[in-house]
Amino acid sequence: MKYKKIAALVAAASMLGLSACSSDNATDDASGSTGKGDGNITLWLAGSDTPQELRDYLVTTFEKDNPGSTLTIEEQAWGDLVTKLTTALPDEKNTPDVVEIGNTQAPTFTTVGAFRDLSPIYEELGGKDLLQSFVEVGSVDGKQYALPYYFGSRYVFYRADIWDKAGIDVPTTLAEFTDAAKKLTTADQSGFAMGGQDWRNGISWVFANGGELATVDGTEWTSTLSNPKTIEGLQMWQDLVMNASNLPTTERDVAYWDFINDGTNGAAPEASAMMAPGWARWSIGDMTKNDDGEEVRDGMVDDSKFDIFALPGVDGGVAPVFAGGSNIAISAKSQDPELAENLLKIIFSEEYQTMLGENGLGPANSKHVDSLGNDKFATTMIEAAAASKLTPAAPGWAAIEGAFVYEELFQKIADGGDVQALATEYDAKLTPMLNGN
Amino acid sequence: MAHSPTTRRRKKANRAPFLLLLGSLLILLAGLGYPILWQIITSFQHFGLEQQFGAPPTFAGLENYARIFTDDRLWTVVGRSLAFCFVNAFATVFIGLMVALIMRAVHGGVRIVIQIALLLAWAMPMVAAVTVFRWLFDYRTGIVNWLLTSLGLSGFDNYAWLSHALTFYFVASLIIIWMSVPFVALSLYAGLTQISTDVIEAAEIDGASRTQQLRYILLPMVRPVLSIVLLLQLIWDLRVFAQIRLLQDAGAPVSDTNLLGNFIYELGMGSHDFAGASAVSLFVLGLTILISWPYVRSLLKEDDQ
Repeated sequence: MKYKKIAALVAAASMLGLSACSSDNATDDASGSTGKGDGNITLWLAGSDTPQELRDYLVTTFEKDNPGSTLTIEEQAWGDLVTKLTTALPDEKNTPDVVEIGNTQAPTFTTVGAFRDLSPIYEELGGKDLLQSFVEVGSVDGKQYALPYYFGSRYVFYRADIWDKAGIDVPTTLAEFTDAAKKLTTADQSGFAMGGQDWRNGISWVFANGGELATVDGTEWTSTLSNPKTIEGLQMWQDLVMNASNLPTTERDVAYWDFINDGTNGAAPEASAMMAPGWARWSIGDMTKNDDGEEVRDGMVDDSKFDIFALPGVDGGVAPVFAGGSNIAISAKSQDPELAENLLKIIFSEEYQTMLGENGLGPANSKHVDSLGNDKFATTMIEAAAASKLTPAAPGWAAIEGAFVYEELFQKIADGGDVQALATEYDAKLTPMLNGN
Repeated sequence: MAHSPTTRRRKKANRAPFLLLLGSLLILLAGLGYPILWQIITSFQHFGLEQQFGAPPTFAGLENYARIFTDDRLWTVVGRSLAFCFVNAFATVFIGLMVALIMRAVHGGVRIVIQIALLLAWAMPMVAAVTVFRWLFDYRTGIVNWLLTSLGLSGFDNYAWLSHALTFYFVASLIIIWMSVPFVALSLYAGLTQISTDVIEAAEIDGASRTQQLRYILLPMVRPVLSIVLLLQLIWDLRVFAQIRLLQDAGAPVSDTNLLGNFIYELGMGSHDFAGASAVSLFVLGLTILISWPYVRSLLKEDDQ
């Protein structure tokens, strides 16, 4: 009878084993990335921000310039990017050769030596003409590891028809903006659509009031939520979210453009204003048909109905918003680093930089910023970008994003929590995390 | 679990089970042995993102365990996970049993319809299923809120199901139970078909009511199947991860809705604390053994009888 006992134990152990295994190891389904030094390189792009036209250009140009080599472009979701890079970059057999990475995520990887030193080709790729705040975020000890890919900025999209009807003008200060948004709020319409966990938009209010999320002394980071100016910004944002937005406080990645478009069959929109990166324009407007006969938004053709303005500052001017955008880097473990550098040369070429601008993505090289055009979308974007700020370039930043700490803090504020007490509580939590402990 | 007819025959067949187990055992050792060994080693080291990128890890002794066990978050998550796992496992097995009994009672055509429905639910890829449930419970456009408000429950107008921990777990449980009932129902139905009709007929002649038949005949006879599916459900529901993660992505209070799997993921992949995550994983392994031990023991006892 003993063997049955053992058999049962083995069976049980295998079930336990299954449970143990799947509760820990993240599934690494990284596709067949090449990295064998065989002349085939892989580029990871984050999200759908880079239009298809630009991807096609990269592939054809690269393969023309480097006969016999191929370029494969794989798109990674923003939400999984850090995880995938963490598992793929250290593995020379599976690492992508060139990767796009969120500007604020770059320090996490540059500080552990995940990227190739680009300082030898820095001058050739643009040097001082490249967007310096992004260059800094990707540098360690004066060496460049991740360079700017493109920048974006956020501004306010609003329903001009609704604001006009209510007799409200475009606000010139942040306080006026709050008042306007409150006035336009009803049970069915948010004056300003804003999810409670959406700290990437929310920190604009902190920056506008002269506050900071964290400061650095040498290499020691300190979370500064309890700074009076930061508190002021958080309280101002709390007032706005609680009194002018009907969205659940747990909302984080919101397709805000849905809220200011007309509803089905011309129903009233759910919000009179919202804040988003510039490319949101192409998801806003009246319905029209594109060349292929598909129904699309017209990109805000009717400016008496849809319009934009830069988020105003506390004392007028423009508020510093979160500087969106990404950096680009070569994996330290790339088996074809020369080819990867060739790809970077194409990306930083005048032609590609101009294509970025024409598609509404801020070119990394300041010499080509005029390719954005000079309509209101371009001027507002450049105006907002000039005043924009980056989140702290702390080594632990990606870990903080990965643990949703700011999401949690902003949600609690949006739920009506005591800002002062929450700031103290989260300062204690964030300071060690910022330093990567 | 069938009893072997004679002792003599049992002795002859002595080696066959081991040979049969050998293949799967080798695969398990190769597939699981290394990760578990790695976890054990890592849990005694300082292992963060730097080590992942090649820096040599340093020995940490029991530091990771001390840090994890003094963390209030762990115990909250453990309590929550255990409650979630027991509620879901028992609910799944109960509903599965009911469905199996219905299948036994209905005519062939209806039974095939039920079986196809169960198989479809079972075959549905998990991400697709969770996406559908997210749409059903969407606070703006979800059909659930529309139905409830149409019924006059105006409190559900724009009600955000995923924003509150309790309703979040309600939706998560619905998905998990919906996806696990087919396995339980089909296994139990298979068990029920093995019960000879003579036994039931005899019970009917003796005047046993339907409830008595269920309680004194059907249930004891499918008990081995019942206890194994319950054990499996307990283990599966304790390590639930993806459904919760996908629901959180739709906008939820993350730290209030984390279960053990999500907590480990957040610690390891999110915060790059691979050592701490390994320590928690090993703790969960121990917890799983603890939960399933009574069942394994009762299985062994049944064998001995």
